[in-house]
Amino acid sequence: MTAPLLETHNLVKDYVIGGEVLHAVNSVSLTIKRGEFVAIMGASGSGKSTFMNMIGCLDVPTSGTLLLDGIDTKTLDSDALAEIRNRKIGFVFQQFNLLARTSALDNVAVPLIYAGLGYSERRDRAQAKLEAMGLGNRLQNTPAKLSGGQQQRVAIARALVTNPLMLLADEPTGALDTQTSLDIMGIFQKLNDEGITLIVVTHEPDIAEYAARRIVFRDGQVIEDAAVKSRRQAVAG
Amino acid sequence: MTNLFNAIAGWGVNIAIAMTALRTNLMRSILTTLGVMIGVFSVILAVAVGNGAQVSVTQQIATLGSNMAIVVPQPDSGSGPPRSTDRGRLTERDGQAILRQVSGVSAVAPQIRSSVQLVTPGRSATTQATGATPEYGDVSNITASEGRFLSDSDVGAAARVVVIGQTVADKLFADANPVGETVRINRVPFKVIGLLESKGSNLGNDNDDQIVVPITTLRQRLLTTATQGPDDVTLLFVGFIDEESLLLGQQEIKRMLRDRYRVPKGRISPFTVRTTTEIAETTGQVTQIFQAVLVAIASISLLVGGIGIMNIMLVSVTERTREIGLRMALGAKRSDIRNQFLVEAAVLCVIGGAIGLTLALVAAAIFQKVADFPAPVGLDTALLSVAFSAIIGILFGGYPAIRASRLSPIEALRSE
Repeated sequence: MTAPLLETHNLVKDYVIGGEVLHAVNSVSLTIKRGEFVAIMGASGSGKSTFMNMIGCLDVPTSGTLLLDGIDTKTLDSDALAEIRNRKIGFVFQQFNLLARTSALDNVAVPLIYAGLGYSERRDRAQAKLEAMGLGNRLQNTPAKLSGGQQQRVAIARALVTNPLMLLADEPTGALDTQTSLDIMGIFQKLNDEGITLIVVTHEPDIAEYAARRIVFRDGQVIEDAAVKSRRQAVAG
Repeated sequence: MTNLFNAIAGWGVNIAIAMTALRTNLMRSILTTLGVMIGVFSVILAVAVGNGAQVSVTQQIATLGSNMAIVVPQPDSGSGPPRSTDRGRLTERDGQAILRQVSGVSAVAPQIRSSVQLVTPGRSATTQATGATPEYGDVSNITASEGRFLSDSDVGAAARVVVIGQTVADKLFADANPVGETVRINRVPFKVIGLLESKGSNLGNDNDDQIVVPITTLRQRLLTTATQGPDDVTLLFVGFIDEESLLLGQQEIKRMLRDRYRVPKGRISPFTVRTTTEIAETTGQVTQIFQAVLVAIASISLLVGGIGIMNIMLVSVTERTREIGLRMALGAKRSDIRNQFLVEAAVLCVIGGAIGLTLALVAAAIFQKVADFPAPVGLDTALLSVAFSAIIGILFGGYPAIRASRLSPIEALRSE
């Protein structure tokens, strides 16, 4: 438990486009401890999303080291990475990414399928998480019958259902109105208070002010890494 | 045990995912299944019809009688059709000579065959009459189920008696017992002395559509054209005591006939001597080729069905790239993604196979009823075809499934 949750050393991701090498992430070294609430900011193309994909084990670094919960991810094969994504990381996306024509309950239960749980346990745990998100009366609704805020809450329930160490949210409020965005940030703050580590990628400065620490990317490098001075508090909806 | 249970449960989940995906695109799924369905349907039906042909042939050979040689006064045309212009002579004396001189011969049954017309009050029938001796019954396993068969005295006296087949009896007497009744054959009155034991039909050939009269009576009263000699026959059935003497006897008969008719060396003998074993083999080979060709043609449709599956699975993978990325992000291993699509393809194929099998069973039953042609579908054929369609699914679904599993999670998630 002594190791930091996340540690990167000279992390690099190169893309070759039209014969030219593009350093999307250029030698980033940083540490994120358990229980932190981090906002990662930067303009489009700054490398923040690429960085996020690497720490989410969705993308493989070109060079450098990534230690996740003390494990060097370079040593892991695709199955082991899948297991890490399943057990230790919960993803929240801008477009929610729920399965269409599938009930909220079944959507939330998907990660538990890959965790190898039986049917009744999947259903019980998915139901508990949806109830915690205030969606106890929407279990059988398909995404088409849910508002944007409700869909994002289903997605958060899905991210939490395997009790991961951290939540990675990529522009989680990008598709929501101001009030709903506030609700979602309130949920994140509450979850953070309960001990879960949160990493939120956003380009909106006021959304970043709900986090405790702000990391700013530009041209693939970290240009600012500091605590948020006047942190906002949202009342969870 | 728990591992095994989890593995089974895991497949159950895949089947559930597959069913959801297939229901989502119901029309497309049905059309895809149709290809496999038609393929399995035609393969099973082809096998069934082929089996039926073989059964028929076996039955036909059995009705001919075993350990028997057939002598016809025609040159051996190999497997081709006999050339009737080459027809030579064959006599009852030849038959007597064979019985005397060839070893292992149990009986010789000379026959004259002719088409005749039968009339009873208000009814008539045309059929083939065989002019025969009592030996005909012994050699080719023919007995009377009612009344009696021909006797030596019937032949000696050229008696106007007839033994009729079941089909002829039905036509002339309906449900009444024909034994003891009178029938006019080519206007000559005959007394029905017996009913031939039914031998059914095979390959559309009704074995019960025939009558048997004494050879002497047929020659004197029923032949419309005169024969060349007083004891000419159409053919001879030669019965042997066992298979070994049949094989030796076949050659001996050929030699003997050459000698009797003084056929010069180097000239083709005007006689053909065939054993029932040979006939069985030739027809057996023909039906086997027939079945192989049928199954091969049917297999092409199954192949086309399989390609249809592959096509649709490729479309499905492309359409659902984002879903694949999402599932990977949520913890799906490559094998999970591969299995999901494999199961989807297999489910499509097995459903198609099951429907195809059902339709084939129905069609075979109808065929059997309507065409009076056996088309047996064995349990092995049924199981094999369903297993085969699952294999088709896995083979043709394999490539799309592996392609799906090789996607990079992030590339898949980003796709539109």
